[in-house]
Amino acid sequence: MSRAPRWLLSRWVVVPGTLLLLVLGWNIHVAANATGVVRGRVVDSAGQPVAGATVLLFERSFVVNTEKQRTTSDPRGRFRFEGNASHAVQLQAEAPDGARSDRVTLRLLFRAQDADLPSPLVVEP
Amino acid sequence: MMRRRIPWVRHAVLLVVSAIMLLPFYWVLKTAITNENIYTYPPRLLPLDPHPYNFVDVWYLIPFPRYLLNSIIVSVLAVVGNVVLNAMAAYALTQNFRAKKLVVLLLLSCMLIPFQATIIPAYLITARIGLLNSYLGLALPLLSTIICIFIYKSAFEAVPRSLVEAARMDGLSEWRIIAHVLLPLSRPAIATNVILAFIWSWNSFMWPLIVTRDADMQTLPLGLARFLSYMEDTTGALYAFVCLVLAPGILVFLMAQSAFIRGLTQGATKG
Repeated sequence: MSRAPRWLLSRWVVVPGTLLLLVLGWNIHVAANATGVVRGRVVDSAGQPVAGATVLLFERSFVVNTEKQRTTSDPRGRFRFEGNASHAVQLQAEAPDGARSDRVTLRLLFRAQDADLPSPLVVEP
Repeated sequence: MMRRRIPWVRHAVLLVVSAIMLLPFYWVLKTAITNENIYTYPPRLLPLDPHPYNFVDVWYLIPFPRYLLNSIIVSVLAVVGNVVLNAMAAYALTQNFRAKKLVVLLLLSCMLIPFQATIIPAYLITARIGLLNSYLGLALPLLSTIICIFIYKSAFEAVPRSLVEAARMDGLSEWRIIAHVLLPLSRPAIATNVILAFIWSWNSFMWPLIVTRDADMQTLPLGLARFLSYMEDTTGALYAFVCLVLAPGILVFLMAQSAFIRGLTQGATKG
């Protein structure tokens, strides 16, 4: 069994090589999970789903949050955005009766990462 | 019995001193992975709710990958320049020629001149040869450094003269003597050159500030200054940026640490 050449085991090859592999692996993971889908639910203060609520998606830049998309929740209170290109968004829901939720910040590990809102948007009068 | 205890005492003292010296680095890292303000009182030693999002912000809010690429290109140019040009200069200084002492004296006296005093002529020369706003222009003043020439010189002088003479008698040219005889025997000096050139070019601020015209040509220290002007506070994102700027330099140093110390001390005990 032949041994690897000595230079191949040098730390000047092993460390950058390991880093390159990590970067490559991360980029493959990003490419496979960056379709920009953001999903979540809208509920009222009693925890019941809110149908027909308007959900706004704000994209964060340095100091401002700009509205980029809006959608409507389905009868089970679920909503879905597609094509989000940001790494940090804010979501806010407004029920048909005018009740609003707080703006919830969703921070992602990379741009356009597919994400589910960990807890629902709660609309309150 | 007393003698046995001394290494432990020494190690304990060294551990305490190391901890004190590493504390600022730890605090920067801790702030980078939390949203705590660095001046929060009372200070908390362990991070509360650590997360990586400050690093993500840094990566996307400014053109960080571009700055990183620029810094890498400039540092690689500086490292290659130092390793090659300094070896040539040092080899010349190991030879006997007329006015050698004068040349050495001139080089040593040039070390006394601060870089800030030479910025205007350096800028004018760089402009005259058309290298403003280019990678080569950014690396130009760091392509050769006098202290690294002397590190090579002391390493080359440690190589037995008979070895160089034998190589010459075997028909090796001066270039090949440097490349095939002296450099392989001077690895600590090479490592010292690599580390010093890398760290100096990586941290260089003033020169890139002067010679770059486009934001696309800026290096990480300039990006850090720009980021600081946007994020006028003391929270995580700024410290995440600091960590990302520091990491490559620390990594290169750790990889070449032992050779670096040998390179600096080589020839130090000669008479």
